[in-house]
Amino acid sequence: MSALATTVNVMHHAFRAGLADYRAIFTWKSWLAGWMVRVIAQVAFFALIGERLGDDQKTFYLLVGNSILIAAVVGVFSLNMTTAERWAGTLPLLVASPSSPVIVFSARGSYLAVDGALSALAALFVAGPMFGMDLPWPRVLAVVPLTAVVALASYCFGTFLAGIVFRFRSINGLVVLTTHVSLMAACGVNVPLSYYPEALEWLSRVLPVTNGLLAIRGVFDGADVATILGNAALEAAVAVGWMTVALATFNQLASRGRRDGSLDYGA
Amino acid sequence: MRAFLAGFGLEARMIRAAPEALIPLVTAPLFALVFLAIVRQSGRPDLQADALMAPVLMTLWWVALQQAGTMITGDRWQALLEPLIATPASLASVLLGRIAALMCLGLVSFFEVWAAGKLAFGVSIPFEHPVALGLTLLVTAFATAGVSVAFAAVFVLTRNAYTFTNSLSYPLYLLGGVFVPAAILPGWIQPVSSAIFMSWSADLLRASLKPPPIDDLWQRLGMVVLLGATSFLIGRAILFHVMRRLRANGELAAA
Repeated sequence: MSALATTVNVMHHAFRAGLADYRAIFTWKSWLAGWMVRVIAQVAFFALIGERLGDDQKTFYLLVGNSILIAAVVGVFSLNMTTAERWAGTLPLLVASPSSPVIVFSARGSYLAVDGALSALAALFVAGPMFGMDLPWPRVLAVVPLTAVVALASYCFGTFLAGIVFRFRSINGLVVLTTHVSLMAACGVNVPLSYYPEALEWLSRVLPVTNGLLAIRGVFDGADVATILGNAALEAAVAVGWMTVALATFNQLASRGRRDGSLDYGA
Repeated sequence: MRAFLAGFGLEARMIRAAPEALIPLVTAPLFALVFLAIVRQSGRPDLQADALMAPVLMTLWWVALQQAGTMITGDRWQALLEPLIATPASLASVLLGRIAALMCLGLVSFFEVWAAGKLAFGVSIPFEHPVALGLTLLVTAFATAGVSVAFAAVFVLTRNAYTFTNSLSYPLYLLGGVFVPAAILPGWIQPVSSAIFMSWSADLLRASLKPPPIDDLWQRLGMVVLLGATSFLIGRAILFHVMRRLRANGELAAA
């Protein structure tokens, strides 16, 4: 089997293992009655702040921003993978195998990018009409691929963070939640980028969500296609950038654990 | 009382040993900055105090759901539940002690959001009715502890408690009116919201930061205590039933 075929085979099995994990966590019923209720409640929570402010435009701004943030939140969940493997006792085995850990982890959690995009779109298309938001047809269809790009970029960012958590596993949950709220605070989800100091605005441009969300807001605001595509391209570039950093650092961080014997089976 | 104190001490040591226990203290100031940014950018400085209180209530809810709520499930996974049940001390007292320690941790968020608002935006908490504010925070922590016992008892019955803890956070923030008063919610959902102690706490907290006198302070404080105590009693009854079932069926060591 060629190296490429081997890699594809490993990714295929890792993806299936990820799906099996997800099916163990959620059934269709618990996904709809548990997860989707939470997602819609999260978006409604912020949209209601807009209602309290007495400004319809702000309500829609918060609704769109927090719907798309869902894609990022789920994508970043990929960094839970390393800790889950450790709890299951399979992490040292994975690192000891001849496959590259980053290939396994990136494929195994990739269902999260799909789940993130689906959850975000469901939130937007359910909560939007609930709050009387206009979804301009057929323009709104452009939101679907744009949300997928945001989810992918977030997933790549999460894979990079997974490498960091590989070394500092006791802070896994801390990294997940801090990343979630930091993206919420810095990426133009709740207030325009111009509200921030310039340095933070620049930083937010290299984080997932920011550029993709600008593209999505452009769809709703009737921006020209070039502007929307430009922001979408920037989001895709952010995805490629973070995946490149993940590929460059992940295996190194994992092999350090092999060298210093910290890949134990415990917590 | 000794069991309560032992539980308190145990949880305090566990918090010190596990950095993840500090998650709510990291996210609370960040949420405060997010909410403050929203209201300030929208030209509504009158809502700044509400923006500061929401993360405090969210932190208490988070602690109740994620830490206190999964306490028994976590003990079960680590095979700590069996020796705990075998001791002569009351399980409920140990649990309450541990939850009380977590509530103290949650209340630290009040000082954090105060500092975050002051440092980032120069916004302080307006102490218009300091006694009412202090009493509201105290009874809220008490009621949250009561609800935590109910969560812990119910979650131990589930196949995967984390599915529930992840799913319940924002619905409870919404129904508990932590930022947006329950009165703004659709009419059909308001009775549900009224049955949740947090909606009473949130209204009281907001009222204690505004100049007008607070109507029916003692009755509203009493309502928070009543709802929290009811949750505790329900939780305790479920816990008793669950533990009896686990013992009778020999399921304790089969977690």
